[in-house]
Amino acid sequence: MTSPPVIRVAGVSKAFRAAGGGPPARVLKDVNLSVPKGCLYGLIGPGASGKSILLKMLTGLMKPDVGSIEIEGADVTRMGELDLQKLRLKFGMLFQNNALFDHLTVGANIAFPLQRLFSLPKDEVERRVAERLACVALSGFEGRLPGGLSGGQKKRVGVARATITNAPIVLYDEPAAGLDPVTSQKIFELLRKEQRAIDATCIMVSSDLDRLLTVTDRVGMMYRGELIFDGSTHEAQTSTEPRVRQFVHGLTEGPL
Amino acid sequence: MPEDAIPRHTQVFAAAGTAFLRVATTAGGMGILLFRILARFFPPRIDGGEIWKNLYKMGVKSLPIVAITALFTGAIMVVQAATIVKRYSAEGLLGWGAGFGTLREIAPLLTALMISGRVGANNTAELGTMVVTEQLDALRVLAIDPIGFLIVPRFVSIVATLFMMTLFADALALFGAAHTGKALLNVDPVTFYNGFTAGLLDFGDVANGLTKSVVFGVVIGLASCHFGLATTGGAPGVGRAVNAQVVASAAGIFVLDYVTSFILG
Repeated sequence: MTSPPVIRVAGVSKAFRAAGGGPPARVLKDVNLSVPKGCLYGLIGPGASGKSILLKMLTGLMKPDVGSIEIEGADVTRMGELDLQKLRLKFGMLFQNNALFDHLTVGANIAFPLQRLFSLPKDEVERRVAERLACVALSGFEGRLPGGLSGGQKKRVGVARATITNAPIVLYDEPAAGLDPVTSQKIFELLRKEQRAIDATCIMVSSDLDRLLTVTDRVGMMYRGELIFDGSTHEAQTSTEPRVRQFVHGLTEGPL
Repeated sequence: MPEDAIPRHTQVFAAAGTAFLRVATTAGGMGILLFRILARFFPPRIDGGEIWKNLYKMGVKSLPIVAITALFTGAIMVVQAATIVKRYSAEGLLGWGAGFGTLREIAPLLTALMISGRVGANNTAELGTMVVTEQLDALRVLAIDPIGFLIVPRFVSIVATLFMMTLFADALALFGAAHTGKALLNVDPVTFYNGFTAGLLDFGDVANGLTKSVVFGVVIGLASCHFGLATTGGAPGVGRAVNAQVVASAAGIFVLDYVTSFILG
């Protein structure tokens, strides 16, 4: 018997009111998606296709106009703020622009979820922060402020913060943006290793398809708010659907 | 409906309606925010460490600018009164005149405007930047309530800062007035303080100004947090939010100054 999916998105649509008073812009159209436990799901697609909005909806930061989003069987769209807070203890998330707290040092940023949510001794928190920083090749950066880091370094701090609580569900929005190819590959391999270690369920949005597809179990492709493909990584790589084929192989000729 | 589709003679009503709706939206938003802030006190879900941090940043660091403002405000009161005091040889009333205006009106009002410009604008800019860079969303995903963690400490700190700064400004303004009286009118500071404490002024006058400082603190705290949280549109949006906060706070301060003065007599 197959276990129920950890993440289930059913018939989700969302439209935003246009600024100039025109017709609403539909950013998600009848999206259906299931991610089983322990799956690393890659979400791909051109810019502005609704990937980041879908990630935010999974954590209850945005509500869909119609449809339901279930996390371990609980419907996020019907939850109040207090229930959402409890649910979010299960999440780790890396934001597209990192969302590091400017007023906190790198060490404090990474330690933040541990200090706020778990009553761990100070030396245990410091040990885990040092271990996280070593994993993302930023040892010794504890005392620096985010404003003094490069884009790639900020991204790595964001990865360290997203993974420090060993959350069972982790969402990564462009974990390799701004990183050099070697660091990028290391980050993908690190995230894969950690995902396997705790059997976490992950959704990873990335434009770095060459590396993303080396670590994913399944792949979904979004285009203009619709999920136009959902299958295994191998199926994505061999798909004959013109838009998927063009995007996955980076072809300049095609419908996109 | 596009603006050019509205008949010209009714455009003025459309503009008035739009302005009214904007004010109502802001007032409603601030009312809801006040309710959400108060809800964090029952039971208390407030970050004490953040309150101390903000009190230092908002209060201690505002001392120099408040001190300069207060000293010169007291001095200006005496400069303006000097002609009349000389003409009627009313040196004994100088302390009362300066004290009455300072304690009840000038010190709380000018301190509030200074704090609004320095602390309120900074608070809106910080919160606005956090909103547009998704830091508030990150807090939510980390299962941390942004109202309890960010907003309540800032609101409490602004109200407490304004209360304490008004007390500080009262003392410094009177000090400045007394010494300007000596320099301009040769009124001895002892005579100034005798006029001040001879019975024409009492604790009610101090309490009147301090009550206003709390009201102004609530206005600045709510406006700065509301406009910060409502920021949209990246860096230009942060600029617009700060601008709106300064205007709304100043307008709110003057309107509520009138109302409070009327109520407190």
